[in-house]
Amino acid sequence: MHDPLWSAFIVALIGGIVDLDSTATWQLMVSQPIVAAPLTGLFLGLSTGQAAAGLKLGLILGAILQLVWIEQLPLGMNVPPDAALASVLSVALGFLAGHRYESYVEREVCSTVALLLSVALGLLGRSLDMLVRRLNTTINLWVERSLEAGKVWAPAFGHTLGGFCTFSKAFLFCFLVAWLGVEPLRYFTQSLNFAQNTGFIVIQGLLPAVGFAVLASMCIQSRAEFRFFLGGLALFTLLPASIWLAIPLALATGWVLTRTADGAA
Amino acid sequence: MGQLNRWHLLHVAFRSFFLQASWNYKGMMNMGFLYAIQPGLDLIHPEGPAREAAYARHLEYFNTNPYFSPIVMGVTLELEERLARGEIAEDIIHDTKEGLMTACAAIGDGFFWGAWRPFVAALVLTLAHGNYLATPIIFLILYNIPHLYFRFQGVFWGYRLGTDVIRLLRRFQIQRARLALRYATVALLCYLIPNHVNLHTTFLITYLPMEWFFLGEKLVQGVGASLLVGLAALAYRARIDVLMISFLLMLCALVLYHWGILI
Repeated sequence: MHDPLWSAFIVALIGGIVDLDSTATWQLMVSQPIVAAPLTGLFLGLSTGQAAAGLKLGLILGAILQLVWIEQLPLGMNVPPDAALASVLSVALGFLAGHRYESYVEREVCSTVALLLSVALGLLGRSLDMLVRRLNTTINLWVERSLEAGKVWAPAFGHTLGGFCTFSKAFLFCFLVAWLGVEPLRYFTQSLNFAQNTGFIVIQGLLPAVGFAVLASMCIQSRAEFRFFLGGLALFTLLPASIWLAIPLALATGWVLTRTADGAA
Repeated sequence: MGQLNRWHLLHVAFRSFFLQASWNYKGMMNMGFLYAIQPGLDLIHPEGPAREAAYARHLEYFNTNPYFSPIVMGVTLELEERLARGEIAEDIIHDTKEGLMTACAAIGDGFFWGAWRPFVAALVLTLAHGNYLATPIIFLILYNIPHLYFRFQGVFWGYRLGTDVIRLLRRFQIQRARLALRYATVALLCYLIPNHVNLHTTFLITYLPMEWFFLGEKLVQGVGASLLVGLAALAYRARIDVLMISFLLMLCALVLYHWGILI
């Protein structure tokens, strides 16, 4: 898959479909970074015979992006940054620019730079989303006028046209970024020296802290909960890191504390 | 059961997946709502002015939680049938739809966006950090169990129960579920923060004897990560933008790496 146009087409197709899921249709949450990023990595990896590497890169970047925008919700008039496009493009750029590097450090740097770039692209994606919504407003006015003129097919047509606009926006955006962005990113990564490179790996390790902080701020609402949180942090600092310990303990905590809250009420 | 059978209602539920395809600033989900209930309206109202009037009626402003929208669609179709039989006035449809969409938005957004999605995300992030490659599939299956349940049952509840559907929703004790999910999310964070913010320092290698190294590493990792998250949370509460906090964190990481404190 050395043809940049072909790989850009695959990325654009994934981007178009995944972006439809984010608000326009389905909302099965394929558009969430933790799904969209590994999905992109898997497809790009399959076409280069490096499926496991692609999937793993997708999981790492997806987990970070999931946390960065965890408080952004599509409520009412609020248009959140386009996390779906950011996820697809971070993995696409990171994988396409980095998969031919021999060293682990260079691949990691490439993916970190792609991640940072994709956050900016996610914000640009939001502006495009708002543009499509304005276009939909024009379509809505046309549907209203057509219905008054007795054209009963207009609502279904206008509605489908809206979905088509969303898909086209994401498809074209992803195509252009994946087609034109890979080589500049590769040159940029090569221009960095080794000492700065490992600094980029430190960044990737620390970034989840922001998402955890946002999630904690959303969930902790009283002093008692904060004390419980501090106790939990101390406990898990000392306990061995095992999800088979953490998940049952979390579910049991949710259950017991809710029953206690019921009793107190 | 009225004029619409199970397949008609399933058709409406299926079309509700496309509710927001034409989301716009004037009517929000109005075209999507009309598109979804169109098969039902076509059966209820004969071709001609009555059908055109029904279409125009449902092009009004509509906004709710997408997963709870089939409930509103079911109730609306039941009311449309009663309107066609001459039992109610048009205004009742408008008022009921408006009241119901607000209630469904409050319940649905609070549960799905405010509690269920953060909880499932935190749960699968624990798996993602453990490098479980099936993480995305687990996320999709887990997240969509309540989503698809409400999506497909909602239209039947709405159509059969009418406005009494609110009483049925109360039985789900969604407030209580939200509380339980919030506590569970906090508990998962207690695990995630000390274990999955990667913070390594050179001091331990230099100063600690080998037998104490792993305990020291775990303590520094846990305490350091907690402090870092605490600082980020303070900045977030001070209404500093998340991207700005991330940028400052990156800058700190590079400086600390440059001084040889972090590796």
